[in-house]
Order: sequence, then structure tokens, then C-alpha cells
Amino acid sequence: MRGDAIHLDAVTKSFGATPVIDAITATLGGGEFTVILGPSGCGKSTLLNMIAGLERLNSGKIRIGVREVQDLPPKDRGCAMVFQNYALYPHMTVEGNIGYALKVAGVRQPERSRRVAEAARVVELGGLLDRRPSELSGGQRQRVAIARAIVREPRVLLFDEPLSNLDAKLRHGMRMELSQLHRTIGATTVFVTHDQVEAMTLADKVMILNKGRIEQFDTPHAIYYRPASSFVAGFIGAPPMNLLPVTGGGGVLRLDDGTELARNPHEGPAILGIRPEKISIGDKGFAARVVYREDLGSHTAIVARLSGGQEVQVATPIGMHLDPADTITFDFPQDHLHLFDPATGLRLETP
Amino acid sequence: MIERTRSIDIAARIILIVGVAFILAPLVIAFLTATLSYEQFVRNGGITLQVGTHFLDNLAYIWTETALPAQLWNSIVISTLVAAIKCAFAFTATFALVFFDNRLNRIVFGLTLVTVMLPLELVVITTYQIVANIAMPLNWILALTGLGEITGLGSDLRLSLLDTYVGVAAPIACASTSVFIYRQFFLSLPRDLPKAAAMDGAGPWRFMWDILLPLSWTPLVATFMFWFIGGWTQYLWPLVAASTPDAQPAVVGLARLATTEQDRIPEVPMLMTGALFVSFIPVLLIAVMQRQIVRGLNLSEK
Ligand SMILES: Nc1ncnc2c1ncn2[C@@H]1O[C@H](COP(=O)(O)OP(=O)(O)O)[C@@H](O)[C@H]1O
Ligand SMILES: [Mg+2]
Repeated sequence: MRGDAIHLDAVTKSFGATPVIDAITATLGGGEFTVILGPSGCGKSTLLNMIAGLERLNSGKIRIGVREVQDLPPKDRGCAMVFQNYALYPHMTVEGNIGYALKVAGVRQPERSRRVAEAARVVELGGLLDRRPSELSGGQRQRVAIARAIVREPRVLLFDEPLSNLDAKLRHGMRMELSQLHRTIGATTVFVTHDQVEAMTLADKVMILNKGRIEQFDTPHAIYYRPASSFVAGFIGAPPMNLLPVTGGGGVLRLDDGTELARNPHEGPAILGIRPEKISIGDKGFAARVVYREDLGSHTAIVARLSGGQEVQVATPIGMHLDPADTITFDFPQDHLHLFDPATGLRLETP
Repeated sequence: MIERTRSIDIAARIILIVGVAFILAPLVIAFLTATLSYEQFVRNGGITLQVGTHFLDNLAYIWTETALPAQLWNSIVISTLVAAIKCAFAFTATFALVFFDNRLNRIVFGLTLVTVMLPLELVVITTYQIVANIAMPLNWILALTGLGEITGLGSDLRLSLLDTYVGVAAPIACASTSVFIYRQFFLSLPRDLPKAAAMDGAGPWRFMWDILLPLSWTPLVATFMFWFIGGWTQYLWPLVAASTPDAQPAVVGLARLATTEQDRIPEVPMLMTGALFVSFIPVLLIAVMQRQIVRGLNLSEK
């Protein structure tokens, strides 16, 4: 089985006056694993619901494969969905839950039982088919929800923050399984989350949403190494990229108080971005004071204050002994700088 | 510490016993009186705590000589109708109110509030006029549009529901208290449930039938019991709407027992026996369904 591509064409939705989804145009590749990532309330669920047919568009078009679907009811779109709180039918057994879509579609026994058993096998739920959802653990309920979604062999699988109710360990396990499941069944997968780790590990491509607009839609690698805007830069990475307002002139970037931060040909004001792990500490560069230190085992995270009062996060190799109030010297290596337009937040390509 | 809880225990028990005695006293008196014959009752000159031996005689009299057994059947039918109409309408209305977004929802919900605040007793005359001729609205339309003339139907159609089961039951059922109960319950269900059903291909009706109805079984049963008993004890409206003993429910018939002749001491022992006889079914229902009623009014999905 292979999934269909999803084409969004100026998809727009508003609740009342403010647009929640603002003319989004994008193509989600057939059979690919696309993650929609963004802060809470940015419209991720709304976009997913519009693809599913659970929410109407104000304007725009959605095509799944070659079919325009924006006016079709959910059942005719070939999509299946896994919800954040699972939304299992409490009064039905696991078998009843998984098989309900088939029952509605008029699939008769024993064909129905066969397909339910097959879906249950894929998510390793055998033996629990007679239980009620209330008798299952969170992880097991999650599996039932997934089995219910895949039993109809959908062309498109939609997930709305499916892992956010699981504890950290279970989440990691489910992440690996979801990745495997995607490879096995090959349906186009759209996965909504606000967790960047989920996004970076699962996605073929990540769509970063902010206030109903796409900030960047690219591979996890590109999103990390070439963030398209200061929003993406500040959203991805833990700790996130440092963003400092600077002014370029004469081949150097300076803070407002005149401190030289790095060499760069950019002229005029800009936002300078640098990842905490790319800042080197040594004897050349400019001075900063350590204000806070955290030993994290693999590395030490410090927060340092520059002469102009700006705080900078730095990840240093373990074994470097720094204490609060120490003065250190930073260097921002030229090839690891990102520059953004201070007005629009968009990435500035430096020659 | 132990001393204190024990004294609290004792106090609580005393309060409970007093409360129970207070509630049971009328029942005990009713039962004692029901065991007397009319002569004994008159000789005693009023209510006493004497135990008589005439209970079975009284019961036999009620069973064979009065309309109460037949009226008991009327009560069963009317109360079942009341409860069924109430539950069915409230369930479907709440379904629409909770699961469909509409600008008018607030207004409709407000209107349902009004029906709760307008007791039937207050609008008994208007209700009577409507039940006496339910073709009235049709007549208005016929007269207003002139269709009556054209079709030859006129505008004076008559269809009375007085003295019928539906005529007695329907106005009693016209109160939307259940909407509040069901609404709270529906809102306690997982929010994405209707979306999940939509993804599974179930339309609104299927969702209501396959998912909402089985989930709501407990509150439905509890409210059904409630309204059944509520219908059972209705007095004023059935008295107005059912003029013949054949159509009257047992509670109305019971009151008729009391007023046979003027200037005579009423047949109080017979009346008490009748009261026990009439309340037997609701009491039995509560006893059997007690647990379900309590569980159903807890208002959340198990
Ligand atoms: N049915 C609705 N009515 C009104 N506003 C809504 C509705 N659904 C979502 N919103 C609003 O739209 C915005 C985006 O919601 P949502 O798509 O759920 O965000 P996300 O899933 O990214 O957290 C939020 O501000 C939310 O309050
Ligand atoms: Mg959401």
C-alpha cells in the first residue's frame, strides 16, 4: 500500500474574526511522514481536522491524490485519525472499537474479525480483544486507537498529539514503533505535535506552524541547520538558538554597546543566531560572565551574560570547570552564524 | 480521639433515628389506620395507635369494589408515557444542543429553561384548551391562509385528547429538566468521541444510536424512574384532563374515595388502605432500582 500526496491550496480557516489557518499552501508527499510542529494554539489541530474533514474550510482547496476532498465527508476521504485522548468507545470491547468502522461500512463477519485480528497483530494487541478500554493501560489504549485507524487500510493516517499522554519512557518506545509502523504500511502520515524531539526523530519533513502560517517546511536537517526564520531558530533545539540583536558594518557584527561579536560582511541591523553548542570558549574573542551552570552528564549548560546585559546559553564539553561569577572569553565561529532580518524575522543569506 | 469519634457516632445515630422516625411516622399511622374497620375508626374518634385486624378486608374491598385496580393500570400506562416522552425528547434535544454548533443553541437552551420554570399547574387552563382541541393550531393556519375555504376543510376541525392516555401524559411530560442532566453527562464524555465516530464513517444518527445511547444507559434509566414516579403522583392535571373514572389514574381515584357523601366522617381506613395500595408500585420500583438511580444521577461516564 502506498499513500496519496496531500495538496493544500490556500487553505484558510477562521473562528470569528482572527484567522486560525491563514492561506496555507503546501504539498505533503505521498507515503511520507510529515510532522506539523508548532506551539500550542497555532492551529495544528485545526489544519489536521480540515484534512480529515472534521472541520470546514473557509476558503481554499485540499486534494488527496487526484481528488478534491474539501467538500467530502470524512469517510469518503480515505483518512483515519488517532486522537490525543484516544477517544475510544468506552462501552465497546477492544474488538468492537477496532472493528466499528468496518461494521459501519457493512463488512460482515468473519471477514471483519479477520481484519480486526490482523490490525491487532500489527500493533501487538493480541489477547486483549475482549477487554474494555477502561481495563487497559495508557499505552495499550494508544495501540487500540492505532489499530482502529489502520484497520480500514487508509491512504492517509492522521495523528493529533498521540503521545502527549504517555510517560517519557513509553513515549520513546511508541516513537520507534510508529516509525516502524509507517514503514510497514506506507500510508501518507501527518503527525501533529508540539514536541520538537518527536518532530525531529519521526519526520521525513517538518512543517513548522506559527499563528496559522508556515514558518518553514523542510527536512529536519534543514530545519536545524538552516532555520528559515528567527522563530524556527528559537523554537528548535534544546536549549534553543541564541538570538542577539546586532549591527553589521566594516566586516564585523557588533552589539549596541560596541562589543565585537563576530566577523561577517553583513551591513546594517540584524538578528544574530548561534546555537549553544557552537560557541567556543577559549582565549580569543569577547568577555562574558557566568551566571548559572547546570551539569547534565553529557555536557554542561551555562548561562552567561555579555557586557551589554544579554544572556547567552552555551553548551560546553564536560570537564570544563566554570563557576558562577567566573569571567570567560567567547568566540562565535563564522561558519556557524545565522542572520535574520530584524523586521520580518526571515533568514538573511550572507554572501 | 477514639472517645470523640464515638460520641460523634452516637450523636449522628440519634439524629438519624429521629429523622427516620419523623419520615416514617405518617406511614406508620397510615398503615395502622388501614388495619381498622370504619366502625372502629369512628369509635376511636380519630387517629390512634390501635392495631386492628381489618387490613385484608379493606384490601379486598379496594380490589373488588372500587375502580382503583383498573386505575392502577391507567397510572402505569400514563407514568410510562410521561417518562418515555420526557426521556426521548430530552435525549434527542440534548444531543442536538451539545453536538451541533448553531447560533440558536443558546436561545433554544434558554427556552428549555422556561419550561422548567413554568409548572403545569400555572398554565392548566391554556393546556386544557389545547388538549381539548389539538387541531387548534391547524385551524389558525387554515383560517389565516384561506386554505380551509379552498380545500373545503373549513377552519373548525376538532380533535380532543381529553380522557385519553396521551392527553393526560403529554402535558405532564412537557418539562425539560432532563436536558440539564443529559447535558452535563454528554459534556463529561471524551470530547473527541463524535470526531472518532465521524472518522469511522458513522453519521450523526449512527453516533447517537451506536455510541451515545449505550453510554447514556445509566442516566437514562435513572431519569426514567424519576419521571415515572413523578407522573405517578400527578394530581391536578389528570383530575382536569380525565373526567371519567375509567380514564383517571389511581391517585385521582384515591382522592375520590375520600369524598363520597357529605356530612359523613370519611372512610379514612379505606382511604389509607387505598393509599398503601396505590403507592405500592413506585415503592417497589425505588427499592429495586435504588442503586441504578443513585449511579445514574452521578452524572459521569463510568
Ligand atoms: N471550535 C472552535 N471555536 C473557536 N475557536 C477555536 C475552535 N477550535 C480552535 N479554536 C482556536 O483556534 C486556535 C487554534 O486551535 P488548535 O488548532 O486547536 O491549536 P493547536 O492544535 O495548534 O494547539 C486556538 O486559538 C483555539 O482557541
Ligand atoms: Mg491541538
